[in-house]
Amino acid sequence: MTTASPTPRATAGRRTGRFALGVAIIAVPLLLALLGPVFAGEPGPRAVSFTLGGGHWLGTDFVGRDVWRQVLHGGRPVVLTALGAGVLAYLVALPVGLAAALTHRRWLEELLMRPLDVLIAVPSLLLILLVASVFTPGAVGLALLVALVNVPDAARLVRAAATEAAARPVVEALRLQGESWWRTAFGCVGRGILRTLGADAGTRLTGVLYLVATAAFLGVGVEPDAADWAVMVDRNRTGLFVQPWAVVVPALLIVALTTGTNLLFDAALERTAPRTPGARRGRKERRP
Amino acid sequence: MSGSGLRSFVARRLLLGAAQTVAVVLLVFALTEALPGDAAIALAGDQPDPERVAAIREALLLDRPVLERLGDWAAGLAHGDFGTSLASGRPVSRYIADGFGPTLLLAALTVALLVPIGFGLGVLAARHEGGLVDRLVSGLTLAVYAVPEFALGVLLVTVFALRLGWLPPTAVGYGTDLLAHPAALVLPVLVLLSRPVCSLVRLVRAGMVDALASPYAAHARRYGVPGARVRYAHALPNALAPAAQQLARTVDWLLCGVIVVEALFVVPGLGTVLLNAVAERDVPVVQGLAVVFGVLTVVLNLGADVIAHRLAPRAGVAA
Repeated sequence: MTTASPTPRATAGRRTGRFALGVAIIAVPLLLALLGPVFAGEPGPRAVSFTLGGGHWLGTDFVGRDVWRQVLHGGRPVVLTALGAGVLAYLVALPVGLAAALTHRRWLEELLMRPLDVLIAVPSLLLILLVASVFTPGAVGLALLVALVNVPDAARLVRAAATEAAARPVVEALRLQGESWWRTAFGCVGRGILRTLGADAGTRLTGVLYLVATAAFLGVGVEPDAADWAVMVDRNRTGLFVQPWAVVVPALLIVALTTGTNLLFDAALERTAPRTPGARRGRKERRP
Repeated sequence: MSGSGLRSFVARRLLLGAAQTVAVVLLVFALTEALPGDAAIALAGDQPDPERVAAIREALLLDRPVLERLGDWAAGLAHGDFGTSLASGRPVSRYIADGFGPTLLLAALTVALLVPIGFGLGVLAARHEGGLVDRLVSGLTLAVYAVPEFALGVLLVTVFALRLGWLPPTAVGYGTDLLAHPAALVLPVLVLLSRPVCSLVRLVRAGMVDALASPYAAHARRYGVPGARVRYAHALPNALAPAAQQLARTVDWLLCGVIVVEALFVVPGLGTVLLNAVAERDVPVVQGLAVVFGVLTVVLNLGADVIAHRLAPRAGVAA
């Protein structure tokens, strides 16, 4: 190689630095989301819409509520819905992907994977809006929808990784020993694909956060006056020129949450990843 | 690469595309069937007076059997007849024709800027691998990559429209002729570009770094082939294949982005039409737009997969 490579120690130091940066960026929104409702206290009387000062640290919102109190309450729905959707997506994708990879019946594999190829064609936000035009999904409905649009890609990934893991001699040995299918699938192959799954979880969580926040911004799965950072950005936009804090603070928190998640996972994965050239290629670049 | 291999791949991919198109049409139709109870009453929403319910029933032909309606609707689609709006009684095709211009403009501008910026920055970062420029580009793209468009958008509006007053905050008042008001297009296109550019830059950079470190690049250098020639004639084509596939995936992002950006900057395009129809539960308009968006995605993905396969037949594009 003719290009100058940084020394291993410098690289390691920079990695630790990036990790710390990720933790620092995500700490504020995450702490607010988890502990905010505890410290929010009782709602005060409603004041005039879009005012600054007057005992309100960040002013008031479009219906005269205290913005700081809304901020304290608004992180939890975003984080919990996203986490729920991510977990749900894997709960479906793991068995489907494993079954498709480990079965010897070609028709079963086709039956499991082909419908996903079709579902993957529908743009994710379009599917969510389609459902929202007919039903009125709540937070749970939104989590289910976001999980659904993430299943095809996750199942494909699980299947690809599991097919590779299942071709190893140890799986063949287990089979010859007459170990049960479940033990082979979850005990051996499942453990073999953990690293791939870990790498995928970061991208997926980022994508899920993006979809949950964007759907809430467009009014899907939330009450029109909900305490939710994305809803706050949407509803308080009308007063942006009078009272920017009601928009800027929740928007910044969402930026910090998504960016922090991405930086953190990237740094964490680089720490554990084997240091072979090209191993990093294409990891972060899959669709959300 | 043998010609028959490519041809059979294209044939299989076309078959999948056709299946996806049919599935999109079926899925969109199935949603009206999924309405709990009487669809007409559910759609009449807040004012379920008998007159409106009857009108909806007639407009959606709810009295006829499901399969007959599906057949009629699909046949209409094939002829460009998308039905009529429940809210206004205007044909859905008019809605699509009205919103098409601004959306196409936004999408075309974004893609036209996306490709040069993405490849330029990616190659630049790869050339200075490990250096300051590379760290700056890589860090910035990693940070911005995950940020939802609406959050980035309102922050940019706050800075550039509110604080600095350089650009208009929304496209309100400019109508559909946005090209005459380029200042109103800057922020929307910038926001639309943010995510796709980041992913493309990272991909091109990774591909270029791998290619430049490969034995054939080293060999070319040893023969005294000039650096620029090694970079652009030998390494870049190999970095192209994954990037071409990524461009296809970008279609999905662009679509999400267009809907959000049009809502944020009040651009009267297809995304705004879709959001209004969703809010009004105007099912025929939603169906029509969903079919247009869905089929567009299928076709663009198909095209990109074929190009990616042509560039790197061993990459194993799923089909």
